[in-house]
Amino acid sequence: MSYDAIKVTLGVLATVGLYSVLYKENRFYRFFEHLFLGLAAGWTLVVIWVENLKGPWWDLMVGVAPEKPTDPIGNGNWALILLLPLGLMGYMVFSKKHNWMSRIPIGIILGLWSGQQIQIWYNTYGKQIAGTAQPIWPTTWSSLTVPDYAKSGLTGDALANAKSQVYLSQAVSNFLFLITVVCVLSYFLFSFDAKTKLVRSASSMGRYLLMIGFGAIFGSTVLMRFTLLIDRMYFIWIEWLQQTILQR
Amino acid sequence: MAKNDPIPQPIKPSMSLAEKLTSLPKFYLYIILIFFSSAPLFINVTVPNKPLESSIDLYATLMSVKPGETVLVASDWTNSTRGESWGQFNSVMRILMRRGVNVVLYSTGDAQAPRVAQDSIAKLNKERLAKGEPEYKRWENFVSVGFFSSGEAATNGMATNVKATFAGRKDFAPGRGLTDVYESPILKGREKIENFPLLIVITGSKTSNITVERLSGKVPIAFTVTGVMGPETGNFYQSGQIVGFASGLKGLYDLEGLMENGVNVPGKDGQIVIKSEKYPKIDGFPGQPNAGQGSRYYPTLHFAVALLILAVIIGNVGMFLARKGAK
Repeated sequence: MSYDAIKVTLGVLATVGLYSVLYKENRFYRFFEHLFLGLAAGWTLVVIWVENLKGPWWDLMVGVAPEKPTDPIGNGNWALILLLPLGLMGYMVFSKKHNWMSRIPIGIILGLWSGQQIQIWYNTYGKQIAGTAQPIWPTTWSSLTVPDYAKSGLTGDALANAKSQVYLSQAVSNFLFLITVVCVLSYFLFSFDAKTKLVRSASSMGRYLLMIGFGAIFGSTVLMRFTLLIDRMYFIWIEWLQQTILQR
Repeated sequence: MAKNDPIPQPIKPSMSLAEKLTSLPKFYLYIILIFFSSAPLFINVTVPNKPLESSIDLYATLMSVKPGETVLVASDWTNSTRGESWGQFNSVMRILMRRGVNVVLYSTGDAQAPRVAQDSIAKLNKERLAKGEPEYKRWENFVSVGFFSSGEAATNGMATNVKATFAGRKDFAPGRGLTDVYESPILKGREKIENFPLLIVITGSKTSNITVERLSGKVPIAFTVTGVMGPETGNFYQSGQIVGFASGLKGLYDLEGLMENGVNVPGKDGQIVIKSEKYPKIDGFPGQPNAGQGSRYYPTLHFAVALLILAVIIGNVGMFLARKGAK
């Protein structure tokens, strides 16, 4: 059996082992669960050292010996050692006596993170808020829906003009979009007591619209879970049985 | 009672139809589910499909990158979302490889992600070599920058200076071993994020949000995301924060169809298979290995979902009958 075949066969055993919990809790499942967690933790530890600490920090700090005599000597930058106690302070969270030290690196991280938030918020939501400003009144009644420009025979300015119009179907769609935004926002008005019938109706409508949204997300989630199962079946039947064992 | 008389057994009350419908054995349900999720994989079924505009935009964007350019690919997926992400990664890479576009791979999502991406490229290379196409070479065509443990910090760094963010990162150069990635010819003169024509994020996690938060407006961004992330990613697309995206299996099936048929390209019968008013003719790659996980899994998904709908109907009918019986 080749190395590839052994690798894929072990993958199949792990897949069956992990799925066996669906029937009932068993040792076979527990074994592969622990194996998976151990492998993932070990892999991550090595990757963090090799890719995140060794090159970008350790090698820069201690300097790198030239590979060839003609290569320049990589001088060390020992100021980078100051990062070590800062990082180690984070582990002081486990000490009852010295856990105050852990607040220093946490404070620095929180400060950096907070400083970015205004720009991040604007980058995320600024364009989306601007995008809610949509025309809700048609600018032309020549067609109720967006015409097929390819078949219209229009060119140049006439085509550009036709494309810039708001057709009834677009206006209706934009109106529904606007209503949805307003109703959903009104659902989150907690600062004052919404006594008027209009606000209460909008809030109630907002709740239903949110449910529709959550339903769509839940539907997508179910489809994704199915896809993961289908992929595992593909791995077992096609990649292992057909391609590796039967070699067809 | 005589010695040899059979021992009387307690009479089990017969189950009503409602009870039978609501208490189907779990084991058999799983067996049926496994059958429905496996059998269609062996049958060649084509599902009629009209690609979403977001998928067409993604394809058009990928096809607009000039040969010889270098794009950033954030490969933030592992085997946990392989069902969707693997096929998406393969499709994106096939397009870039065929067009001679170079790739800088990096990951902020998971420590396993760079390895998974490299394995996928190795498989694609096998496919290329088997067809007599040139190998997509490490260092000359793509470099792997590796994993960044803090996605926020790395992406923030890239917003100001990509070269400084990638400092100390190494990849294998032929004949030289591990070498600073910025010595690769594909990264020459590309120190700022604005020097890259495109950033593609292939993700099964929140790294898409982190990317928009920090890099939106600095570089054209395109996503391929899992189905769960589709609705929220739609907001980024509608507001123009990203140029296109493929969501879940449907997005992947769209992408594979676009690769086979192109956009506004007449098929064998003279009819245009995929129409778009937004773009002129965009060629596909007919006859090449375009069909991948999307073409295999999407029809299978329909069978599995049909089973789910059937199970929901049976369960509801059973509950309805049980309630009716209780009254």
